[in-house]
Amino acid sequence: MAKEGSIACYHCGEDCVPTPIPFDSKSFCCSGCRTVYEILSQNGACDYYDLNTSPGIKANSRETGNRYAYLDQEEIRKEILEFSDGGISTVKFFIPGIHCSSCIWLLENLGKLQKGIAQSHVNFAKKEISITFHDDSISLRQLVELLVSVNYIPEISMDNVRKKTKRKVNNSIYFRLGVAGFCFGNIMLFSFPEYLAGGDFIEGVIVTNLRWFNLIFSLPVILYSGNIYIISAWKGIKKNFISIDVPIALGILALFLRSAYEILSNSGPGFMDSLAGLVFFLLIGKWYQGKTYEALSFERDYESYFPVSVTVLNDDGEETIIPLGKIKIGQRILIRNQELIPADGLLVKGEGNLDYSFVSGESNPVNKATGDRIFAGGRQLGSSIEIIVEKEVAQSYLTELWNRETHEKFTNPKITTLISRISKRFTYAVILISTGSAIAWFFIDPSVSINAFTSVLIVACPCALALSMPFAYGNTMRIFGRNGFYLKETQVVEILSNIDTIVFDKTGTLTQNDDFDISWDKLNLDAKERELIMALAKQSTHPVSSAIYKSRTGIINQTVEKFEEIVSQGISGIVEGNTIKLGSSAFVNTNSTAEQNADGNRVFVSFNNELNGYILLKNKYRQGFSNVISLLGRDYDLHVLSGDNEAERERLSEVFGSSKNMFFKQTPHDKLEYVRKLKLKGATVLMVGDGLNDAGALQESDLGVSIADDVYHFSPACDGILDSGRFETLGNFIRFSKTSVKIVKFSILISLLYNITGTTIAAFGLLTPIIAAILMPLSSVTVVVFVTLSTSYLANKRGISKRYSTPK
Amino acid sequence: MGVLILLISFSIVVAVGFLLAFIWSVRTGQYDDEYGDSVRILFKDDKPDPPVSM
Amino acid sequence: MENPTFYYDNKIVKSFAYATLFWGVIGMLVGLYAALQFIWPGLTFNIPYTTFGRIRPIHTNAVIFAFVGNGMFTGIYYSLQRLTKARMFNDVLSKVHFWGWQLIIVLAALSFAFGITTGKEYAELEWPIDILVALIWVVFGWNMLGTIIKRRTQHIYVAIWFYIATFVTVAILHIVNSIAIPVSLFKSYPIYAGVQDALVQWWYGHNAVAFFLTTPYLGLMYYFLPKAANRPVYSYKLSIIHFWALIFLYIWAGPHHLLYSSLPNWAQSLGVVFSIMLIAPSWGGMVNGLLTLRGAWDKVREDPVLKFMVVAVTAYGMSTFEGPMMSLKSVNAISHFTDWTVGHAHIGALGWNGFLTFGMLYWLIPVLFNTKIYSKKLANTHFWLGTLGIIMYAVPLYWGAITQALMWKEFTPEGMLRYPNFLETVTQIIPMYATRAIGGGLYITGVLFGVVNIIKTVKTGKFVGDEAASAPALVKAGGKAAGESTHRWLERKPVLFMILAVVVILIGGLIEIVPMYLIRSNIPTISSVGPYTPLELHGRDIYVREGCYTCHSQMIRPFRSETERYGEYSKAGEFVYDHPFQWGSKRNGPDLAREGVVTGRQYKPNSWHYQHMLNPQALNVQSIMPSFKWLISNKLDISTTARKVKVMQFLGVPYPEGYDKIANQDLIKQATEISENLKASGIQCDPDKEIIAVIAYLQRLGTDITRTGPAVSFPLSSNK
Repeated sequence: MAKEGSIACYHCGEDCVPTPIPFDSKSFCCSGCRTVYEILSQNGACDYYDLNTSPGIKANSRETGNRYAYLDQEEIRKEILEFSDGGISTVKFFIPGIHCSSCIWLLENLGKLQKGIAQSHVNFAKKEISITFHDDSISLRQLVELLVSVNYIPEISMDNVRKKTKRKVNNSIYFRLGVAGFCFGNIMLFSFPEYLAGGDFIEGVIVTNLRWFNLIFSLPVILYSGNIYIISAWKGIKKNFISIDVPIALGILALFLRSAYEILSNSGPGFMDSLAGLVFFLLIGKWYQGKTYEALSFERDYESYFPVSVTVLNDDGEETIIPLGKIKIGQRILIRNQELIPADGLLVKGEGNLDYSFVSGESNPVNKATGDRIFAGGRQLGSSIEIIVEKEVAQSYLTELWNRETHEKFTNPKITTLISRISKRFTYAVILISTGSAIAWFFIDPSVSINAFTSVLIVACPCALALSMPFAYGNTMRIFGRNGFYLKETQVVEILSNIDTIVFDKTGTLTQNDDFDISWDKLNLDAKERELIMALAKQSTHPVSSAIYKSRTGIINQTVEKFEEIVSQGISGIVEGNTIKLGSSAFVNTNSTAEQNADGNRVFVSFNNELNGYILLKNKYRQGFSNVISLLGRDYDLHVLSGDNEAERERLSEVFGSSKNMFFKQTPHDKLEYVRKLKLKGATVLMVGDGLNDAGALQESDLGVSIADDVYHFSPACDGILDSGRFETLGNFIRFSKTSVKIVKFSILISLLYNITGTTIAAFGLLTPIIAAILMPLSSVTVVVFVTLSTSYLANKRGISKRYSTPK
Repeated sequence: MGVLILLISFSIVVAVGFLLAFIWSVRTGQYDDEYGDSVRILFKDDKPDPPVSM
Repeated sequence: MENPTFYYDNKIVKSFAYATLFWGVIGMLVGLYAALQFIWPGLTFNIPYTTFGRIRPIHTNAVIFAFVGNGMFTGIYYSLQRLTKARMFNDVLSKVHFWGWQLIIVLAALSFAFGITTGKEYAELEWPIDILVALIWVVFGWNMLGTIIKRRTQHIYVAIWFYIATFVTVAILHIVNSIAIPVSLFKSYPIYAGVQDALVQWWYGHNAVAFFLTTPYLGLMYYFLPKAANRPVYSYKLSIIHFWALIFLYIWAGPHHLLYSSLPNWAQSLGVVFSIMLIAPSWGGMVNGLLTLRGAWDKVREDPVLKFMVVAVTAYGMSTFEGPMMSLKSVNAISHFTDWTVGHAHIGALGWNGFLTFGMLYWLIPVLFNTKIYSKKLANTHFWLGTLGIIMYAVPLYWGAITQALMWKEFTPEGMLRYPNFLETVTQIIPMYATRAIGGGLYITGVLFGVVNIIKTVKTGKFVGDEAASAPALVKAGGKAAGESTHRWLERKPVLFMILAVVVILIGGLIEIVPMYLIRSNIPTISSVGPYTPLELHGRDIYVREGCYTCHSQMIRPFRSETERYGEYSKAGEFVYDHPFQWGSKRNGPDLAREGVVTGRQYKPNSWHYQHMLNPQALNVQSIMPSFKWLISNKLDISTTARKVKVMQFLGVPYPEGYDKIANQDLIKQATEISENLKASGIQCDPDKEIIAVIAYLQRLGTDITRTGPAVSFPLSSNK
């Protein structure tokens, strides 16, 4: 959002730097935003701006060129379309940019912008749009380009295409819950006269007949809704593993069989109300636990980053576009500016200038010459290159790493859940007490024996116990999520509380991706001359240029003539009569290539064709970085693994206290091995990383957390995603996970107290349906209320729930 | 007694119907997008395009 | 591709809005008139058409079905078109609906004034009008469902679900409760009797509150509140859950109107528990409404529309909390039969329905007329007068109710009733009634300001009858293969949704009613209880005609204070021939269930009844009962006796075969006896007068159970 005192862009709300672009008596920050506004206003779609102030997404480069040409390929088109009958087609896209009601409005009024769109429907929760269009009026490619033109860039990757059909959500929990809830309600109803009827004979007839309803309605509960517990318990027992589901299953079965017997033999009312209630509550717990962040992806593998298609050149130099999976060894493929290298290969034509930040974490592009070997995963910056494929996509270096390692994750024995540790002892105790009381009663009064046995099983059924974890961790997960830390599942909370070692990636994790500390020390220029450089930098949108421009103090409005930008090389121009060049050493024509980037990113400057020195850009560390590290350092063993060179070792050592656990120039594989070694030494490892280069380590660690500037856009497979703006609270999150484990422990104590009380009553043969019907929900509700309130309260108290708004 | 039997069968039929309806409604994504569905009513109605007068 | 252009029908919305205001003013003025009668009974001017017994149904029906009904249709016709992006299904249906509904209202008002009533609260309309109501209701539903089917949006917004549930449920409630066998064009007997009738009636009565006053207005809330505040509803998920929970639970709550009555105990408890459970979904709705405004309270301070709505939603929350509390047996023991119920109902009617209606109209009228509200200040005045009015209405009634209930129950240390004279407990709270009338007066004053404001607004604006709009048509993308075509199944099938709602409602209704109705043995029959004599039957019909049940109950609850005051508590078996039941819901006068028991406290001789009807104040100066002196001059119409007996026989009342032909002989015989008895007390009254029948009926009340021998046998033996 715009800083105070500056003008906010009418479209996207960003600061209008350097000067607003006026149009239609409104101000825009860039021509991109202005163009989007123009498109919308020409098509009478300005309601977009009425719904929310500045709802747009900052428009960066909107020139699509041939980028989406592959969508014209029939084969690819077919893969992407959900449905097509030749006349009308439907397509679904994931658009991470969807963030407010204006987005919904605009995307559902696409028909205003272009003919041929019959209907479009947004699913906001999933950030998904489904568009039905007429093939003869608009092609898939045009449709995508239209979306891009208004800056809603759909994510189209191999991953999306492949998983199109698999994306069905498992709804069975809702079905089970619905069935259980419905039966529970009805059984309660039919049990009413049972509890309350007077002694009247006719009322009595109704009452006994209503028991039959209860029996019928309990069948779906036990056979469908509750069967997961029985099945899971059985599976566990077969594997010699006693989970919490065992006592639950015992309780459910005891409830059902005894009640069925009582009803069939007309000897009593049974406990069907308790049975249905129990299953219903348990399922609510399961449902609460099952919260997912639909629009986030925790499972992205390399395919998510790779293009859908590649351009292949035949011997005559003719271009054809083929799907990625069809690349064969020996094929010559064309890589344009900004395109990813999909497979390992040999550079045969052009000058490679590859950004490997994805793979290595190294933020400076690497130069490659003809004949050099190129690894997949790099992004070409600059002119097109041609490579000859040496390995298939699946066998390439990066993807191999992935394929080889993911399935061999070494599991840490420390990571067994609290509940599973307790449930074993609990189960034995229950069986012991129930059998014991059965035997005891057999000698006192044999007729009570079976009753006492089943009663203990019924009352001991650890409903509250089973609910405490889902609700405590579920609520913690929700609180975390509201504060920018998204967990894949509730168990992660407990694992987080167990870690003792934290491994950080450096670039992009500890440092910010697009902000630099700028040092002018190595330049021989006065303030006035520096301004000229800034005036030149103002002309370019390259992150380095913007960073230089941003460091200004006054107003920069010098005019620049003959401005020229050479991609990935540098910029030049004449400012107030001075010829200035900014860029790489080669670009500026210096000979001092030695130790080019040892101390950071050097931008060389030539002033009037004379090398003046360089501007030093160092990655800026994240806000609160040193605080977080020094706090965590007290309790955890900290490590840093960086793909970069050692330039930052000294600075990091200051914060970390020592450089013992710091390693540089680490390949993705090195990182993975390092984490593995730590684990073998008995450590429980939290890996915090960002890029694909950390993917292996994130996978291998006990808990991988990915830091992302845009949580919807970019994150490798991991267990948690941390919004980069919340990096400084990482320590709080970890600490709070311990609190919530404590809460669970305490709630287990509460539920055990209930169980002991109930079991005592049952062991003496005193359990009646009313007591069962009161005790079970009472204990569950106590525990659920306790864990939910205490997690929320403590989170608030510990400052977890600070006001935080999700970024656009 | 006949009434009770009638009632039982009636309830079961209804229960099954209810169950099916519920399953259908979930399966077909009825409750997929709460935000979108709640916010659409706030959008102003489209006026038809005014006649071109240039 | 050009989107198709279509036009919203604003004319029908405007018509309903005007009707809402018109009937609102009328209905409330009638209410004020009735309230003033508590202070000045003479205000009836001794004519039949103005007595409380006839005025009250006019008031309740006018407010519920005319004011709230038209208000509901205003909102539905406006919002449904916008939500579905379609014009109403058929303009003719819209018009038939509008004029049909107004015709029903006029007929209802006239028929009640003339004493044509079934005597079932909130369902007083006689059968021909009932049929008309059903027809017009179907027209409404047809028009609505048609619109939903031809809609241009995929999703069915939650408000529409509430509308559909309203339509379906009210239709079923109305039909089930109104089943009756006609005696003549203006008279019928319901097929249910006694306990069954009571259960059906309150199943209807409570659900009328639920599905006529609550669900449609929740629908309106879910549309107009977000619109007025320009922000989406707080939680859409909550709205969905609370919708389903509400329609499921509401169905079961009815029996709470019959606590401590002759209804089986477990059915009463069922009603209690479900009423308590109703708090959850009801408050779900309230919380959802209020939280929609979170972060917009500054707007609320500015905007009268939102102010009205906030108070409306708060009132909803209050009365949906109060309702369940009142169905707790211990609270009900006090609140039932007192003005507590009246206060409760008015928090709902004035606060929830009234304020939501005005909030909606203050938003809607300027939108329809493309202008701004004429005077914000005037609207604010309306708001404050209304709010003050509600408080001044409800608080004194609560006060009075508790005072009166405690007086009813108070014993002296000697174990005697402290206030054995019922009238004392009424006189005590007359000041509260006066304050209540002032509160009501303030509210109406506010409404009149509102009417002026709206008339002025209308004059400054420009109305567009057919508002142009455009939206893409719903496209179904090809066959089954498309994900979209099978998508959102339920939403696309409003008919199916309707069937579902019916199923939900039926399961509730059937389980509650069918066992009660069909297992006749559920009601312990008492051998000494017999059918009414023809004269008593006529007297009973006059009792119903005059709306005596609006002030006198016929249900003695099993409390010592009541058995002491009125006699033996009421048994289910005593009412098996009561078509309809006359238990009543409010005691402005004493209970009459044992009025005829000679040994009872309540017993009065024939001559007393005669004098009392002629001039109540002559017997009790402070009495607030109006005079019914026309009963003394009116001739009893005995031409219908045969038909009445036949209908009763058809309904299972055991008159002997062919009794209809000789019934009038019995009637004349009994009438003559009473006439002579009166003559003995020095009162000259011909046996063919209506008063004779009424006296016969009153003297029969509660006597069967004290009879030692078998029930009355027909034809009557001369030695009665």
